[in-house]
Amino acid sequence: MTSRSPPALGYFSFILPITTIAIAIVIFVVDTLTHFEIAVSALYGAVVLLAVRFLDARGVLVVSAGCIALAVLSHLLTRHGGLSVIALANLFVGILTIGVTTYLALQNQSAQIALREKAGLLDLTHDTIFVRDMNDVITFWNRAAEELYGWKEEEAIGRISHELMQTSFPAPLEKILEKMSRDGRWDGDLVHTSRSGTQITVASRWSLLKDERGRSIDILETNNDITERKRGEEKLQLAQAELARINRTTTLGELTASIAHEVNQPLAAIVIDGEVCLMLLGRDKTDMHEVRDALRRIVGNSKRASEIIERLRALYKKADPQKAPIEINSLITEVIPLLQHELQSHSVSLQTEMTPSRLSILGDRIQLQQVLMNLILNGMEAIASVSDGPRELLIRSSKNGADQVIVSVRDTGIGIDPDNAERLFNPFFTTKPDGTGMGLSICRSIIELHGGRVWASRNEGRGATFQFSLPLLQGDAPRIRR
Amino acid sequence: MFACPPYVGALRGQLRPVAKDAIVQTPVITIIDDDESIRVATRMLLQLRGFVVHTFASAGEFLQSLSVHETCCLIVDVIMPGMNGFALQKRLRDDGYRTPIIFITAFPEERNRTLAMAAGATCFLSKPFDGQTLISCVDKALNSRNGQNL
Repeated sequence: MTSRSPPALGYFSFILPITTIAIAIVIFVVDTLTHFEIAVSALYGAVVLLAVRFLDARGVLVVSAGCIALAVLSHLLTRHGGLSVIALANLFVGILTIGVTTYLALQNQSAQIALREKAGLLDLTHDTIFVRDMNDVITFWNRAAEELYGWKEEEAIGRISHELMQTSFPAPLEKILEKMSRDGRWDGDLVHTSRSGTQITVASRWSLLKDERGRSIDILETNNDITERKRGEEKLQLAQAELARINRTTTLGELTASIAHEVNQPLAAIVIDGEVCLMLLGRDKTDMHEVRDALRRIVGNSKRASEIIERLRALYKKADPQKAPIEINSLITEVIPLLQHELQSHSVSLQTEMTPSRLSILGDRIQLQQVLMNLILNGMEAIASVSDGPRELLIRSSKNGADQVIVSVRDTGIGIDPDNAERLFNPFFTTKPDGTGMGLSICRSIIELHGGRVWASRNEGRGATFQFSLPLLQGDAPRIRR
Repeated sequence: MFACPPYVGALRGQLRPVAKDAIVQTPVITIIDDDESIRVATRMLLQLRGFVVHTFASAGEFLQSLSVHETCCLIVDVIMPGMNGFALQKRLRDDGYRTPIIFITAFPEERNRTLAMAAGATCFLSKPFDGQTLISCVDKALNSRNGQNL
């Protein structure tokens, strides 16, 4: 049993036993020396109740026995003799009181221990759990909450939860509370701010606690930190947007259409304005203002045309690879978390067999990640149509010969027609009804720009394997100090 | 339904009414293109030829204006945000207008040309187009209406 706050004793650890003993002595003295016709020994009950606070069950029983013994002793020592009926009756009442008090106190104590154990479980979980009342004041704060938010239990209890964590809600709070009073629960994603100012996104579940009469008394909130998952999703979206952008800028057909459409507009205006000038100059009375206006428009449109060309050139430049050394396995390990969600929703299991040696290549990390992502996503789509049989992807990295690295993505999907194996990578080739046919040809462009090759083959069993090779970056060996 | 006057045009020179005492009424040409430079330049060209020119940046604006009833000839861009040139052509036909249409486009796909001509367009020009060619197309368009006038 763990308990973060020390039992109620705290600094009572010396005072309480001393007080208890003192009280016992006083009772004994009064009992022995006085002639009161009351069961003074019943007061030993107080001693028992005090003992429960700092002794375990056995200790309490010992104290209880001790009190009974003292009561009997007092009885025997009292001058008025031990055999009078009243005195005996008093003794009996006293012993009975001590006994009943002991029994009830021990029951209470074990119930308290069980309760504390249950509450202790709340501290074992990694989920943050806290309770707040109907005024949003925090009344319970578990250990995981301390760790996630940085506020200790004593600091959090008594604070208003939304203020403490600067909660940002996905919908107006009134709507959320409405839903909760209807259904008794609510769940959604919130953004909290920890003590150190970091923003945390959590998947939050609220439950409304009601008393026996059905009145709402508390709200139990359980939170799961999903900041990493959200960041992963954002990264995936960014990577996909990058891929789409490169899609657009490396498609020759689209590039041509883009240039044609944009540049032909100012060009057409220039031609017409030129003819306008000629017409104006051919008249007997030339309107020079109009000629000037037309010429100004020509100059403006010419500049516009050249800006369009410049913009397109800049766009093309961005697609140039930024080369830097990359450790090949890091490429794989960075891409996998981005695809967890996709893998799960397609029920595809992913295995990796990565080379134990440290192999580096020179390349553009983002572009190579996109190639890998594209191959993995293609593999998943191939598996999607499989209804019987394994749904597995295997990513391998290995050294080939002395100077090459090979990464392969093997799937258990519907496979490829060996006749198509070469054409797969051509632009506009697609076997999907709504495919653009650009993904694999872009992969080929990127890999070839990196000095490698990409190819596909049918597996002996099910599915296909897509592989790409890249030149190994030599010179990984540590320098020798001279 | 249409207020276009009988018209005898020529490649050069000004307009001439058919009969000496006929009421001179200048044909209205409407240009619809989302590119402003083209609207401005083409308007100037046609005005120098003596036409009254209306311009619109979108098919939607044109349809909501009085120009729909007054225009004797349309010069329309094919690719425009919102309703494109072909959709406008179909819409006018469905509404009973027989206004001749000249298409101008920055995307001269063969397929588009075939479609446009099959739907009865007078001309299909690709940008940048020659000003004189446009004027010949306008003449052709206005002459083709001669037999169908009021």
